[in-house]
Amino acid sequence: MKVQYFALLRNATHKREETWTRPAADVRGLLTDLCTTYGEPFAKWVMENGELAKFVVVLVDGHDVRSLAGLDTPLADTSEIAVFPPLAGG
Amino acid sequence: MNGWMGKILRVDLGSGKVSVERLDPKLAHDYIGARGLGTKIMWDEVDPNVDPLSPANKLIFAPGPFSGTFAPSAGRYDVVTKGPLTGTIAASNSGGSFGAELKFAGWDVVILEGKAAAPSYLWIADDKVELRSAAHLWGKDVPTTTEMLYAETAEDAKVACIGPAGEKLVLFAAIMNEMQRAAGRTGVGAVMGSKNLKAIAVRGTKGVRVADKDGFAAACAETSRKIKEHPVGGTGLRLYGTDVLVNILNSVGGLPTGNFRTGQFATADKVGGESLAARELQRPRGCFACIISCGRGTKVLSPKYAGAGEGPEYESAWGFGPDCNIDDLDAVTKANYICNELGLDTITMGSTIACAIEMFDRGIIGTAETEGLELLPGNAEAMVEAVRLTGMGEGFGKKLGLGSWRLASMYGHPELSMTAKKQEMPAYEPRAIQGIGLNYATNNRGGCHVRGYTISPEVLGVPMKVDKDATEGKPALVALFQNLTAAIDSSGACLFTTFGLGAEDYAAMLAPLTGEAWTAEEFLKCGERIWNLERLWNNRAGFTAADDALPPRMTQEPMPSGPSKGAVSRVPEMMPEYYAVRGWSPAGEPTTEKLRELELA
Repeated sequence: MKVQYFALLRNATHKREETWTRPAADVRGLLTDLCTTYGEPFAKWVMENGELAKFVVVLVDGHDVRSLAGLDTPLADTSEIAVFPPLAGG
Repeated sequence: MNGWMGKILRVDLGSGKVSVERLDPKLAHDYIGARGLGTKIMWDEVDPNVDPLSPANKLIFAPGPFSGTFAPSAGRYDVVTKGPLTGTIAASNSGGSFGAELKFAGWDVVILEGKAAAPSYLWIADDKVELRSAAHLWGKDVPTTTEMLYAETAEDAKVACIGPAGEKLVLFAAIMNEMQRAAGRTGVGAVMGSKNLKAIAVRGTKGVRVADKDGFAAACAETSRKIKEHPVGGTGLRLYGTDVLVNILNSVGGLPTGNFRTGQFATADKVGGESLAARELQRPRGCFACIISCGRGTKVLSPKYAGAGEGPEYESAWGFGPDCNIDDLDAVTKANYICNELGLDTITMGSTIACAIEMFDRGIIGTAETEGLELLPGNAEAMVEAVRLTGMGEGFGKKLGLGSWRLASMYGHPELSMTAKKQEMPAYEPRAIQGIGLNYATNNRGGCHVRGYTISPEVLGVPMKVDKDATEGKPALVALFQNLTAAIDSSGACLFTTFGLGAEDYAAMLAPLTGEAWTAEEFLKCGERIWNLERLWNNRAGFTAADDALPPRMTQEPMPSGPSKGAVSRVPEMMPEYYAVRGWSPAGEPTTEKLRELELA
């Protein structure tokens, strides 16, 4: 599956995207693994006490997981996941 | 008065007569200031059927009660007039320091009437007001004009001026202050040009009086803390600026690409805020009393598009970038600089070029019409040249300067203009995001994102996440955002304070500042009153429910690709509920009951 990182998260991962080969059945599994891999600079924006952090945006194939099954949203080998820290503009 | 200065400056540009009027405290409380107060004055004094570029139109500059105080990120002002691009009431909001300086000079409102006999500028130094010749400034760009005025008025004067675009009555000409901040939309700069007014320079030595100093200081400390602690206002905007939005809109399939033909652009990342931070960004910039600093001080080093200035913001980068199928950030940044230098609205400019590109691509126009410009998708050089020609009023730029609706209509294809009420829709796809489409269709100045910014809940999840594809609840959400924004715009506060603050927070600062009782409900009610007054004005100017619409592409052409493939905008099915929520008739007119409730009848 492909994972893309944006804004501040790129400072933590030092990459824009990667092909993730470790198994992840759902979004929870993937994000937990990513938080372990990239540590606190990544995790603090993404997960809080086992739940999604307040303003993080996680998309699976372009759809916000909060409109799907949240952290239980299932993933496939072909899934494209995009993770955004809190953002603004206008 | 506290908060307000209590004085209105009225200048008859034709005779040069200057008069001073007292600001009615009841009007100040009911309309707050800036956008609201300016609109009320337009309602009272100007026939909505006036020709916007005639001397009978008025041009109003007004800061808000917060402007010039240390309320955090709250030093803004509005320019209010009848907009030549749309024919609607137009209030264009800008940051920088100009608004604060008007307060320091002792003014809540400056009303410009009539037309000067020859190019002129207004010099306001506290109570001393002079109309001076601008013969030596006419034709000069914004930075040159500004610096010449610093030299001949005061080194620390603040200057709001037009560039060649406003002089040539480009229908989307902007008024620029501090060179890089724009009262950008709806052609307020053309109104200024039509009055032969090149600039206003102002310097003030007074201060804003505060009713309860300790109370106000405490309220401001609290709101500053809330803004700083919010992850968006506190960190993200300063690091990446608004352009950071490119990638998230692209990822959800809501980044209008190629004149809104679709919602995703393969190389969008190249023009996003992350790329801008890595390449052109020199330093963040902030306005008067700002604690966020979303502004981008930037520089392009490549010789082809060399320049320096501020921006681009998200909607500007979008307009010159993905909307034109362009991914060259240097070119996009250069186009933004040219707009600032010549005084042009970046959103309408980019979208108008995108419309011309689609017509060129389809063979509706060719190099004969464009006078040699190869306006093909992705042709960055042609895009940058098109901007310059428009600002200078030369060649095909003369036609581009009419905006996309008149341009496309000229060639028999108004449906290719991505506008609502003839103003170009900014960088969010109505087919992918239902609420923003409803805001575009109902906004009192046409295609405008910022005054009903439901992108925040629909895409960003701030303050909470709502489903962007749902229509349920969207009419009420859009109306709420529109009302709150109208009040905030009238107070002098920047909309980015909404990352952290709610209506109760603005009321909590207004009360000790003004010495009046203010609640969240009252603040919101002012906003609703202002929205309805704008609507009344537009109704009188001939706008009807038929004008609360989006281009047919949005409602009839399903999104061809991306995560929102197959979607259309469902604005028509949301409209009856929007009117009902607003307390309007099915024909979209405020009812007598609603007007009585808002003390507008």
